Amino acid sequence: MSALVSLRTLVFALVLSATASAASGDRSGRVVINYWEKWSGFEAEAMQAIIDDFNRSQERIEVRMLSISPIDTKLMLAASGGNPPDVAGLWEYSIPDFAEKGALLPLDEALAEAGLGAEHYVPSYWELCRHRGFTWALPSTPGCVALFYNKRLFREVGLNPDQPPRTFAEVEAMSRRLTRVELERNGRRVRISFDELTVPERQSGKYSIVQIGHQPADAGMFVSAWGFWFGAKYYDGDRRILADDAGNLAAFRWLRETMTTYGVDQLKNFGASFGQSQSAVSPFLAGKGAMVVQGPWYPNFIEKYAPDLEWGVTPFPAAPGVADNAPMTLIIADMLVIPRGAKHPREAFEFLRYTQQREVAEKLARLQRKFTALREVSPEFIATHPNPANRLFSELSRSPNARAVPKLSIWRDYDIEMSVAALNVRYLLKTPEQALAEVQKRVSWRFDRVMRRWDVVGDERLAEWRDHERW
Amino acid sequence: MSGGDRTRLWTGLAFISPWIVGFLLFTVYPVAASLYYSFCDYDVLSRPIWVGLLNYQDMVTDEVYWKSLNNTLVFSAISLPLGLCFALALALLLNRPVGGRGVFRAIYYLPSLVPAVAAGAVWLWMLNTRDGLINQGLLSLGVSRPPQWLDEPQWTKPGLALVAIWGCGNTVVILLAALQGVPRTLLEAATIDGASAWRRLWHVVIPAISPVIYFNFIVGVIGALQTFATVFVMFTNGGPDRSALFYAVYLYESAFESRQMGYACAMAWVLFLLTLLLTWLASRSTRGFVHYSAE
Amino acid sequence: MKPFAKIFTYAALVIGAVVFLLPLLWMLSTALKPVEQTSVQPPIWLPRRYYIDEGQVRREVKLGAVISIPSVWAVPVGSTTPVVLPASDVHDGQWITTGGRSTPVQVRSQIPATPDAPWREVIDTAKGDRSIVSIDRIVGRFAPRWENFANAIKVMQHFWRYLGNTVLLCVLNVVGMVLSSALVAYGFSRIEWRGRETLFGVLLGTMMIPFPVVMVPLYSMFRSLGWIGTLRPLWVTSLFAGAFNVFLLRQFFRTLPKELSEAARIDGCGELRIFWQIILPLCRPALVVVGLFTFLGTWNDFLGPLIYLTDQRDFTLALALKSMQQKSGLTDWHYLMAASTLIILPIVALFIVAQRHFVEGIAVTGSKN
Repeated sequence: MSALVSLRTLVFALVLSATASAASGDRSGRVVINYWEKWSGFEAEAMQAIIDDFNRSQERIEVRMLSISPIDTKLMLAASGGNPPDVAGLWEYSIPDFAEKGALLPLDEALAEAGLGAEHYVPSYWELCRHRGFTWALPSTPGCVALFYNKRLFREVGLNPDQPPRTFAEVEAMSRRLTRVELERNGRRVRISFDELTVPERQSGKYSIVQIGHQPADAGMFVSAWGFWFGAKYYDGDRRILADDAGNLAAFRWLRETMTTYGVDQLKNFGASFGQSQSAVSPFLAGKGAMVVQGPWYPNFIEKYAPDLEWGVTPFPAAPGVADNAPMTLIIADMLVIPRGAKHPREAFEFLRYTQQREVAEKLARLQRKFTALREVSPEFIATHPNPANRLFSELSRSPNARAVPKLSIWRDYDIEMSVAALNVRYLLKTPEQALAEVQKRVSWRFDRVMRRWDVVGDERLAEWRDHERW
Repeated sequence: MSGGDRTRLWTGLAFISPWIVGFLLFTVYPVAASLYYSFCDYDVLSRPIWVGLLNYQDMVTDEVYWKSLNNTLVFSAISLPLGLCFALALALLLNRPVGGRGVFRAIYYLPSLVPAVAAGAVWLWMLNTRDGLINQGLLSLGVSRPPQWLDEPQWTKPGLALVAIWGCGNTVVILLAALQGVPRTLLEAATIDGASAWRRLWHVVIPAISPVIYFNFIVGVIGALQTFATVFVMFTNGGPDRSALFYAVYLYESAFESRQMGYACAMAWVLFLLTLLLTWLASRSTRGFVHYSAE
Repeated sequence: MKPFAKIFTYAALVIGAVVFLLPLLWMLSTALKPVEQTSVQPPIWLPRRYYIDEGQVRREVKLGAVISIPSVWAVPVGSTTPVVLPASDVHDGQWITTGGRSTPVQVRSQIPATPDAPWREVIDTAKGDRSIVSIDRIVGRFAPRWENFANAIKVMQHFWRYLGNTVLLCVLNVVGMVLSSALVAYGFSRIEWRGRETLFGVLLGTMMIPFPVVMVPLYSMFRSLGWIGTLRPLWVTSLFAGAFNVFLLRQFFRTLPKELSEAARIDGCGELRIFWQIILPLCRPALVVVGLFTFLGTWNDFLGPLIYLTDQRDFTLALALKSMQQKSGLTDWHYLMAASTLIILPIVALFIVAQRHFVEGIAVTGSKN
């Protein structure tokens, strides 16, 4: 019997410890702000430094950050579970979805009170914070993309390392030169550039790729955005999805062409030995990829995994006739939001507001090697920035041809459909036309469902957002 | 009803009360709610909106839905017969009077205990196109271009079938128990009639355990309809051309990633009806078995 | 059995056993390797360390590319990294590619490699510099990297919390499930009351309801209780008995003679006492089976934690393994396999200890259903 009694006490103890949830008050009587962030590693460390500053700067609020992955799913679960954190770091493309589902608090009134607004931000980034007439987020660090290239590999194949490609055709030509293959030629194994292969050798497929010039699918995160470089629109801003427009079609034809040119099996075999774009074994960081499209964060990874790599950076040229006046880029941003249901929205906003001060934003940007979304930065910030590519990225993000993914609550699904389609095209399972027609059909179907819902609850939502008393 | 009857009734009900409460809370209510939601547009965050049969209509035209159902059934069609043959062969071997049977049985059974997530991770590595053990083996056997298990749509399901067959230890143990239940007299009679071992297998043993085999097959299909973790771990977005998107995975994605809870409930109800149908088939098959062993 | 048949049986059983164990052994082997040995062709099973003997000194190295044709170890002008070039492509300090372009290079040494006597690029583990040596100067020693486990734990971040959560859930579920199922099974077997069989039929019927059917409403229910993001949805349901376990225990309870209870009832014992003091102690084996399966079910559960848990620190091991796999992006195979090993190991240990119960339980599942 005594064994049973002790078992019972054990169960009791366990139940108690299981149900004792994290107390939200702090020992010192401060209001604790739970902050969920997608970052890990040095980016999280940089944000932690800002948080430490904030916690020291006043005595009322204490911010506690937690790395969460994958943030969108987990935050949506927490928000729909009614138990969200007070602040969260999302990517810009999630904002419309979270806003329309009623998972975020609109910030407009608090912003007006704090005297923050459009005039403080680079317009393209401010635009990312807004959806359906309300402001939902403030940028923590912005980004955009450009072409990184390996100068040593340029030199090795006789290209001028100070003259990166300026046109789309040049990217293609240089990529063929920079792609190195190995094959048996006259009874011995040789290593040559791809453009040195004879036609029969190319057709026989009996070569293996040992170094790649540029492959569009290298950085998986942008594969659905290539359409911008070919003039794609993705969405008409109202009720129509434009997945199969001429721009996307051209982009997908290009994806297919890259595969057929270099050989599907050869590229797969080459790729099989590499992992994600930001690890030591990605082709570029391993010194086996000459060009890659990445953002301002990338030099950090170069420094970490390939400190000897000699690199340069340049805008990725758009297809002829698409963006002749100014360079093309895709802008993205890390966003801070306050989920609906946050226990301390006022204090959460205090923290958001703190991060938007120029010195703070600059410190965070500097630690993360990025630029800021603020319209004005201090001269020292530019002069002493540790990232040599910073100026380029900062200018690129203000280009009239800076594009952002469409503000669609279903962008995530759209993106997945595009990725599935891109994979089908790259593995030659579907033609670009087929693949994009499927995306068009499926995303339109999803969007119709969402809009049908919005037609019913939209007014209710807008009223809810206008009702500022919830704050 | 006598006083004793009544007391016993109340005592009985008191004992089963945990189940009654659980049954009402975690079965009756959710099943009913799920049926209701299946006629609604629902995303948990805001109230459900009644849409009638729309979810079911959408399902009919949703190609990805049909693909997920098709994938699940094709996978079952590959993995279950193979797995059953394999399990039967092993069970027959284990049924012979050799030493160390316990050890072998333990080894065969062990993989079926491995957590699905870990199994997914291990097989992701086993099936890796370039460095995986399977393809390394095939290369050394002279196969010049081994299958790309994770990249080629036609190979993802066979790859997953390997994983499933690896976990067939459960079936081995069940079949072994069934084999041991085959009446000795029958076998002896067949031996006296001069039937060879092979004939005994085909004409006595297999018919005797066939209801168990059939039952396991149907339970396997039901299991496949709910297969989630292994596939979810091994493939993102359902794998190449969604060739590894299983029913339960698509259901999960619809519910918790694209937040179409109503649509997911409609899918769940179709799954429920399918399961009922299969269970009915299975129960018909075991009726024969129960009758047999009662002899 | 004839000797031939016996040999055949054994051979087949052994081959089967090897096939079944291969993935687990491969996992363990990978878990103990340094990353560069995880993807070598042909695969190696035993992790090694490689050394080069230089007189008295022994240097540890990592292996690089194999060179099997006469080559040149040279530095292209303007670069600092030496490269291996085919000897036939280098003439008078000029590297002439097959396409006809030429690049000046600084030749460091000639490498007299042939397909029969290959050389190999090696990287000094301490200093990181590269050199080219003849393959027979390289000595390999078996050396498992136990530190991979520590590193995998570090990569997973809150490993000990995941373990704690998982164990906590296992204990709560096992205790809750065993007690509640035993109570209910008792009510369904040891007491005679009207409508018992009908209700039992209903209970059996609930086994057919697939989890996905109740998934969304359950989620929505736990959400209104404010339980999303807590461990509660993952154990509270086990307090209300599981249909299959009730079925299993009922089968067992029914085998106990009626007289046992009758005698106690005459002595004035209440049902609860009969249950607790007489029946339960006699049913230990069946309770152990229920406990084991509940433990396994909880340890292996993935979908539940995936849906209900939001905070990384509340994760269970199974869920943490998935999120580690996402983060590592499938390159750190040695860590992923080390983490998998850590999750599988307790199960294997439990299985070895309680093998008999497992097999009995399974046999009941299959034949009595």
